[in-house]
This record gives sequence, structure tokens and C-alpha cells, in this order.
Amino acid sequence: MSSVESSGDGGRWLDAHYDPVAGLYTFSSCVDLADLSGDGESRLVVGDLGTGSSGMKLKVYRGTALMSESVLLDLPAGLVAFFMDLHEPRIPAVAVASGPCIYVYKNLRPYFKFTLPSLEINPLEQDVWQQVREGQIDPLTLKEMLESIRKKDDVPLSIRSLRFLSLDVNDMDEFVQLHRQQPIRRQTVITCIGTLKKSTADEDGVSCLVIGTENSNVFILDPEAFTILSKMSLPAVPTMMDVTGQFDVEFRITVACRDGHIYILRRESDKPKYCVELSSHPAGLVRIGKNVVVGCTDESLQGFTQKGKKLWKIILPAPITTMAAMDLPTRGFQGVLVGLANCEVHLYRDKNLLSTIKAPDTVTSICFGRYGREDGTLIMTTKGGGLMVKILKRTAAFDDRDSAPGPPLAQSVRLNIPKKTKLYVDQTLRERENGLAMHRTFQMDLSRTRLAAARAYVKALESSLTPVSSSLSEPLKMNAVVQGLGPSFKLTLNVQNTAACRPIMNLAISFLYDENLYKVRNPYMRIPLLVPGLIYPIETFVENTNDKGVSDVIKVFVLHEGKSSPLLTAHINMPVSEGSTLN
Amino acid sequence: MGLLDKLSGWLGLKKKEVNILCLGLDNSGKTTIINQLKPSNTQAQEIVPTIGFNIEKFKSSSLSFTVFDMSGQSRYRSLWEHYYKESHAIIFVIDSSDKLRMVVAKEELDTLLNHEDIQDRKMPVLFFANKMDLRDALSSVKVSQKLCLENIKDKPWHICASNAIKGEGLQEGLDWLQDQIAQSYQNNEQVKA
Ligand SMILES: Nc1nc2c(ncn2[C@@H]2O[C@H](COP(=O)(O)OP(=O)(O)OP(=O)(O)O)[C@@H](O)[C@H]2O)c(=O)[nH]1
Ligand SMILES: [Mg+2]
Repeated sequence: MSSVESSGDGGRWLDAHYDPVAGLYTFSSCVDLADLSGDGESRLVVGDLGTGSSGMKLKVYRGTALMSESVLLDLPAGLVAFFMDLHEPRIPAVAVASGPCIYVYKNLRPYFKFTLPSLEINPLEQDVWQQVREGQIDPLTLKEMLESIRKKDDVPLSIRSLRFLSLDVNDMDEFVQLHRQQPIRRQTVITCIGTLKKSTADEDGVSCLVIGTENSNVFILDPEAFTILSKMSLPAVPTMMDVTGQFDVEFRITVACRDGHIYILRRESDKPKYCVELSSHPAGLVRIGKNVVVGCTDESLQGFTQKGKKLWKIILPAPITTMAAMDLPTRGFQGVLVGLANCEVHLYRDKNLLSTIKAPDTVTSICFGRYGREDGTLIMTTKGGGLMVKILKRTAAFDDRDSAPGPPLAQSVRLNIPKKTKLYVDQTLRERENGLAMHRTFQMDLSRTRLAAARAYVKALESSLTPVSSSLSEPLKMNAVVQGLGPSFKLTLNVQNTAACRPIMNLAISFLYDENLYKVRNPYMRIPLLVPGLIYPIETFVENTNDKGVSDVIKVFVLHEGKSSPLLTAHINMPVSEGSTLN
Repeated sequence: MGLLDKLSGWLGLKKKEVNILCLGLDNSGKTTIINQLKPSNTQAQEIVPTIGFNIEKFKSSSLSFTVFDMSGQSRYRSLWEHYYKESHAIIFVIDSSDKLRMVVAKEELDTLLNHEDIQDRKMPVLFFANKMDLRDALSSVKVSQKLCLENIKDKPWHICASNAIKGEGLQEGLDWLQDQIAQSYQNNEQVKA
């Protein structure tokens, strides 16, 4: 027992225990935490694979110490702790799946063994073995006949026939002698196991076992009677699964399969409801709330909705060795722990990397939950058989920011885009169909507008209609103000020399108007010398001589002495005389 | 007569208010220890996990004790710091058989000692390495190593192994604590004089 040095995670985890030679060889599917003695202290239950051919054991740890171990007959494929009845005190049973059987332990003693129903046997194969039993054919003929049956391949051969076919000619006789009296059986094996609450969502509610098998089936077993409650079939062999919901109400089984697909099974149907095609094989499957996070062998981590819609994908720095959920309801935290081949364990919330834990060896199994009396305990075993326990600090906080460099947080904030209306959809369709014509029409109108503008401009320039003179020698600006209600108006013309420094001289103003309507007091005025920048108000009075409420335009010309064409022209729309109507 | 009664008798002090804060992880045995200090006729028969905290008052001829028995559950540990200011001594209880959570006990102790209301005060800290009767319990020496108690330089501290259920080891610790409190009062008196 020793302590690992700082795990390099900003001090969020306490190193509670590390035993590099614990001799635990297992995977995440064979590890669980459960209060096996009902004293409020959770134990660690591990299905140890030993060397892979021997030394398989069921081990139970309490705190830092191995509390009990018992021999397993076969390699464990999965292990779960579950409540199988309502007895008090509430002590969970442990189910170990290995080969075609589930071994159920209660109080750590073998309690029940469930075996999968045997499969249909090829009648031809049955016949051949019958003949062998009666001594009608010798081993070599048997071999030939079995091989021809195998080639037809409608119903696969039994394990015994397959074993026989793999034997050396010398060993055949002995094998036949040994086995020929027993009936042949064909059996599938369990590939993965999970639990499903029967009718309540309670923490200690009774759960059904859910198992996936090598012949692409998923079974749901009754917790007490171990009868098959439901059978579902998949297009491929399941390897990992996640189960949520309640059997009697509504449930959802997410299965990663050996064909690189993820299938989602629902209560109503015995066939998958949704399917996700992955770009490469799944290496880990974790459900977080309603979403599923899948780790793939192409070193990617991908998020999907419960209907199989892809949400995100990130690339990891190394291949995935194992994955587990980190669920801490007391602090409302949910994340995914990903063990990597580079001896790191990454914690992700969605696609954000929240923390990196460095391990002294490659981590092969991860389990997070309540261990002992500590809710936030992370248990990892390593390739070399080490056991590592870390405890999340009470004060540890994970900010939502990604600790990996990348796009800013704001980029992933969803914009509040309103729903598409029918009008919008119609318009979009129209645009898609008539895009070319619309573009042409628009371009033509644009050209016309430009032409009209250019013409107007030229006309204005030719007739000096602009209130701004751009002539280089006399740059001028003028605006006119009309004051009064009528019939007398005061007309003020503000003239400004816009040149930088040169004054302008010898300018005059004259008016053109309908003499039947208006009388201007000074129809011709000289403008004094214009100093650059100053505004000169030039005033005169206009009398509307008509009492019928008619108004007209008065044109104002700024002229240079000795030139006939005006420098500036302004049209003043005279207001209707209101004074005259008052009389 | 309860232990604290004796304690105040020996001190021979005028009735002074002494606040003692009893801290430690959940299930370490704080409530069991305090229960042992009560007069035997008022001792509780069954001890349940503390919710929030309990206050126990002990009157003696010269001293009036208030013991704050805090809950050690992680969700209540944030309450501890609100009582640091008024307390005059700390009893820190450790379950010496819970090897896994020694790091957690150390973490909480470090947080406590570095708190601004504790840091610069010379208050005595008494450690009980409790549950010494259990087979896999660590010795008090081992516990003080695990908690790095030798690093506490500016506070008087003492550790003793205890069995709260039988009341073993509690006396030794309390004797030490009474000495410390008496000393600090004498010092205070000298300062005042
Ligand atoms: N074997 C043994 N058990 C003890 C000892 N001291 C306490 N216990 C047991 O430990 C358990 C917890 O004791 P409590 O006094 O409730 O612990 P606590 O520190 O007050 O816990 P919280 O109130 O939850 O913070 C009880 O079941 C006690 O009987 C001891 O010295 N030896
Ligand atoms: Mg208590």
C-alpha cells in the first residue's frame, strides 16, 4: 500500500489507496459497488478474470482490504449487484454472468444458477451422432459428414462437433468414446449483462437482469423466478449495454454491437427502434441523462440523443481502454470517465474535458460511486493488476470551461432561432426553383435604377439644379428657409463658401417666379464678399398676391457677374398662404 | 459524576464558559464519545448519526461547558466553520479503522487548521484515534503519521487511542485538555493582572 504522487488534476482528488500488486485483472463490466452487508458501507465487488484461463475469482473489498474471495468456474463476462426481492434488511444480490450461465450470490454465498435455454440442434448432426452411438460409423466418416453439414450452414454445429472437428486424427477416437453417450446440446453464451428496475425507480427497488447473448438476443429475466419475461432480437451480437427505465412502465436498452452499430430497444417492440451507425467499432458506452456517449476505436468520443441523433464528436489523444459514468447526484454532477491507453483518465461533461487524472499504469476498469461511506469515490484497476482508489474532494468544483484548448464557450451557445413559418418555407421553395430568373430580374432592376440615377444626376449637373456648386473656382453651398404664415413670407437664403481659403466675389442672386402669384421685394440682390466657411444669411420678403390659396415654386439662382449660366439653382416649394384665408 | 464535572473540579476555576467543538468525519464516534462524558443516568442508549449538530451543556462547580457535537457527514461539514470563532478547544475524532478515509480526515483537518478563525489562535486540539478495539485499527502513532500531526507547530495538540463504547482512553485525553484550558486561563489572568 502506498500513495501515488499528485495526480495532476488541480488537487480535486484525494489519493485514498493504491496497491500496485493487488492482482486484480478485470474490466469495467465486471466491477460494481454495493452495500453487501446492509451497514451503510458499500463494498467493491469484482469479477477477476485471473490469467484468462485460470484463477477466476469473485472478490469483495471493504475499504483497503480484500474481505472475501471465491472461485468462479468460468470467465466472467459481466457482474452486477441488484435487489432481487423485498426482504429486510435490504441487501443486494450479486449476479455473475459467465458462459451460458448466471451465478447469483446472496450474502456472498452461491444462491442460484440460471442457464440460458439451449438452442435448436441441426437434425442432421443429431442423426450422425446417433449413428456414432450405435457404432455404425467411424470417426473419420463422422468428420467428413460433420464438415459437409457445417458447409450447408443453416443451423450451426454444436460446440462438441466443432471441438471434434478441430482435433488431431489420433485424438478423435478417445473424444468419441468419451462423449458419444451424452446427448448433444447447443448453447449460446452471455456477452453482457445489465439491470432494469421492475416497477419502481427507487434506489433499492427490485431489478430484473437484462442479458445480451452471442446469438444476438436480449433477454429480460424475472428477478425472483428467473423466468424470461421478454426476448428481443438484434441484427448483430451485443457487446455492451445500458439499461434505463422500469420494466413495467417504459424502458430503453441501448446496445453496442459487434457490427459497429448501436441499437436502441424500447418496451413496445422486440426489434430495435433506432440505430446509429458508427464510423468505427464501439469501445465504451455510457448514458448520461438522456444522452448516450460512445467511445470508438478510432480514438473518438461521440454524443448521441436517445433517438440516435448525433450531437458532437471529439478526438482523443490515445485509444480508449475503458469508460464509465461519473454520477454524483448529491452535487448534481454527471460526466463520463474515459480511460486511455496513455495512462490517463479523462473526465468529460458533454464534449468538454474537465479534468485529467494521470495513472501509473494503463487503466482497464473504472467504477465511480459510493464506496465505504464516501459518495464520490473513483475506483480504477490497471493492466498490471493494480487497484487505485481516489476520493473526490468535498470542495472540488468543475467549471464548465473546457480545459482543452479550442473554440470559445460562446460558440456552442445555441441561438434562439424561431420556428419556420409556412410563408418562409414557401418563399424558400420559390427561391430554390426560380433562383436564376429572380437573380436576373434583380440585376436588371438594379441596372435600371443606376441608369435612372445617373440620368438624373447628369440632368441636375447640366442645369445646375444642385444646391451645391462643385465648380472649382466658386465652391458654394446654399439652403433656403421660408418663414411666416402668409400672405407675407420671409425668405432666408444661407449661402456658404466651402473653399478652403479663397474668398468669392461678384455674386448675385435673382429669382424666377410667377408674377401673378408672388411679389418679391428684392428680385435681384448682390452678395457681399464671401469669406470661406461663414454662413451668410440673405433675406428678402415674398408676398403672395393671390387669395385663392394657390402656391407655386420660386426658383433661386446664384449667378456670377458676367456669366449667363447660374452657379446654383434652388427650387423653393412655397407653402400655401394661410394668412389670406383668414381674412 | 460525569467526566467533565470532575474536570472542572480539578481546574478549580470560577464558572467560566468553555466552548468545545467536536469534529471529525461521520461515523468516527463523536456522539459516542460525548455520550460517555455525560452523567450515566442521562446517557443515551442508542446513538444515531447526527443531523446538523447537537449541543450538550455540562455544568460543574467552576466551569460551564458547551460541547458542539457536529455532524461529520460531508453535506454538513460546511457548518463547522461557523463555530470556530466562539470555540476555545477542539476535539477531533478519527475512526482509526477507516484507512480508506484517512486522506479525507487529513483534508478536513488541514482545511480546519488553515481557516482564518483558527490559524493564528493557540487553541488546544485533542485527537482521539477512536475505535482502537477493532481488529484492523491503526495505532495512534500511525494515525498521527497519516494525518501529519507533527506539522502542527503553533497549537498544543495531543492524540490518544480510544474506545468510545467502553469509554477507554477518554480520560487521558480529557486530563490533557483540562491542563491546557487551565493554563490558558492562568496566562490570561496574568496578562490581565
Ligand atoms: N467498535 C467501536 N465502535 C465505535 C466506537 N466509537 C463509536 N463506535 C460506533 O461507531 C458508530 C458511529 O458513532 P457515532 O458516535 O454516531 O459517530 P459520529 O462521529 O457522531 O457520526 P456523525 O454524527 O454521523 O458525524 C456507532 O455505531 C458507534 O457505536 C469505538 O470506539 N469502537
Ligand atoms: Mg454524531
